[in-house]
Amino acid sequence: MIDIVRLIACILLTGAGLCCLVSGVVGVFRFKYALNRLHAAAILDTVGILLMLLGVIVATGFTFTSAKILVVIAFLWLTSPVSGHLIGRMEITINDDLDNAMTVIDRETVEHEKDAEVPTDNKEAN
Amino acid sequence: MAKTRPDYESSLFARFLRWLQGGSTQLDDEMSHTMDDKASLSHSEADKIAQEHEAKYEARLAAMAEQEKNMYAHVHAWASNQGKGLSNWLYRILAVVICVGIIVLLVSTAAELPPYGSPDNPAHNEVAERYIEKGMQETGAVNIVAGMILDYRAFDTLGESNVLFIAAVTVLILLRMTTRPDGKPTTSQLEAECDDRMYEPKNDLILQHQASFLVPMILLFGIYGLMNGHIGPGGGFGGGAIMGAGLILYLNAFGFKKTERFFTFKTFSIVSVAALSFYAVSKAYSFFTGANHLPSIITPGTPGMLFSAGLIPYLNIAVGMVVCCTMYAFYTLFRKGDM
Repeated sequence: MIDIVRLIACILLTGAGLCCLVSGVVGVFRFKYALNRLHAAAILDTVGILLMLLGVIVATGFTFTSAKILVVIAFLWLTSPVSGHLIGRMEITINDDLDNAMTVIDRETVEHEKDAEVPTDNKEAN
Repeated sequence: MAKTRPDYESSLFARFLRWLQGGSTQLDDEMSHTMDDKASLSHSEADKIAQEHEAKYEARLAAMAEQEKNMYAHVHAWASNQGKGLSNWLYRILAVVICVGIIVLLVSTAAELPPYGSPDNPAHNEVAERYIEKGMQETGAVNIVAGMILDYRAFDTLGESNVLFIAAVTVLILLRMTTRPDGKPTTSQLEAECDDRMYEPKNDLILQHQASFLVPMILLFGIYGLMNGHIGPGGGFGGGAIMGAGLILYLNAFGFKKTERFFTFKTFSIVSVAALSFYAVSKAYSFFTGANHLPSIITPGTPGMLFSAGLIPYLNIAVGMVVCCTMYAFYTLFRKGDM
C-alpha cells in the first residue's frame, strides 16, 4: 500500500517537474528577447529542479542521500535566482535599446505620471 | 613609406647639390646670418633647386598613391567577384574532404578496437589488477584513483599541474597590462577599469548577502575535498576548482579592492611556484629512495586516517593550490587584464 502511494507521489512529482522543464526549454528557444528567455529559464532551474529532486527523494526513501539532495536543493535555490537577477541587471545595464525592447516602468516614470495626473484633477475640481 | 621632406633635405644627394651650388651645407645654414650678401645669394639659389626637387618628389608621391589606390581597387574587385566564388568553392570541397577523411579514420580505428568488456582486452592486464588488489596496501589511500594518480603515476600528475601553470603564464603574457615602473596605472589600465565598472554589476546588495553566506561554505567544501582526496571522493583538481569558484564569487560580489587584500599577482606567483616545487622536490625524494631501495621516511600509514597514505594528502593540497590560482588568474585576466 505504502509502495503504491510512494510510486504515485513520485510519478506526480517528477511528471510535474518534467512539465516545468519542458516549458522552460521551449521558452528559452522560442522567446526572442533576453529577459523573456530569462523568465522561462528561471522556472526551469527553480521549480523544475525542485520537483524533480523531491520526486527522487520520494522514490529512494528518506536516507542520508536524500538529506544530501535537500542540501543540493537549498544550494540551487540560493544561487540560481541570484544568477538570474544578475543576468537581468546586466541586460538592463548594457542594452542601449531598452525602450524599444520593452516598456520600462521605473520610479521616475511612475512619479512623472503621478505629477501629470495631479494637475488635471485640480483643474476638474476647480 | 618613403623619405619625407626633412629626410630629403639632410640626404646625401641634397647636401651634395648644395655644396655644388656654393658650399652651403646644413651646418653652414646656422652660420649664414653672419655671412655676407654673396653667401646668402648662393643660399637662396640652393633653396630654389631644393624646391624644384621637392616638387618633383611630391609629384612622384602622388603618382605612387594613385597607383596604390588603383591596385587596391583591382584587388577588391577581384576579391568580391572571382575570389569570393573561389573561396566558397574551396571551402565546400575542403569541408567535405576533411570530414570524410576524419570519419574514415575514426570508423576504421573503432572497427579495430577489441570488443567491450571482453576479459582478453589489453586494458585488463596485470597493472590494473595490481592497482585494485594491492593499491590500498601499497599507497595507503582508500580512494584507489587518488593512489593511482598521485602515487603510481605521480609524474604524470606533475605534468598536468605544470600544464595548468603554463596555461596561466601564457594568458598572463598575452593579456596582462603593463604597469609603469613607478607603480601608477597606465591609461589602458584606467580604460579597462572604467569598462569593468560600467559593464559588471557592482555593489549588488542581493549578491553580496548571498555571497557572504555562500563563499565560506564553498571554500570549506573545497578544503574538505582537498583534505579528503585520499579517503573518499575529492582530490586536488576537484577541490581546487571549487575553491577557485568560491574566490571568483567573492570577487564578483565585493570587487577587486577587497580581493586585492589577500590575492594579488604576488600571491599567485608565490603560491603556484611553491606548490609546484614542493610537488617536484617531494616526489623526487620518493622516486630516489624507491629506485635505490633506500629506507624512506614516507610510510603509507593506516588507511582511512586523515594523515595517512604517505605524500598523497600533501600532493593533493599542492595540486589544489595550483588549480585554484589558475582558475582565479584566468578569470581576473580575462575580465580586467590584471589581478
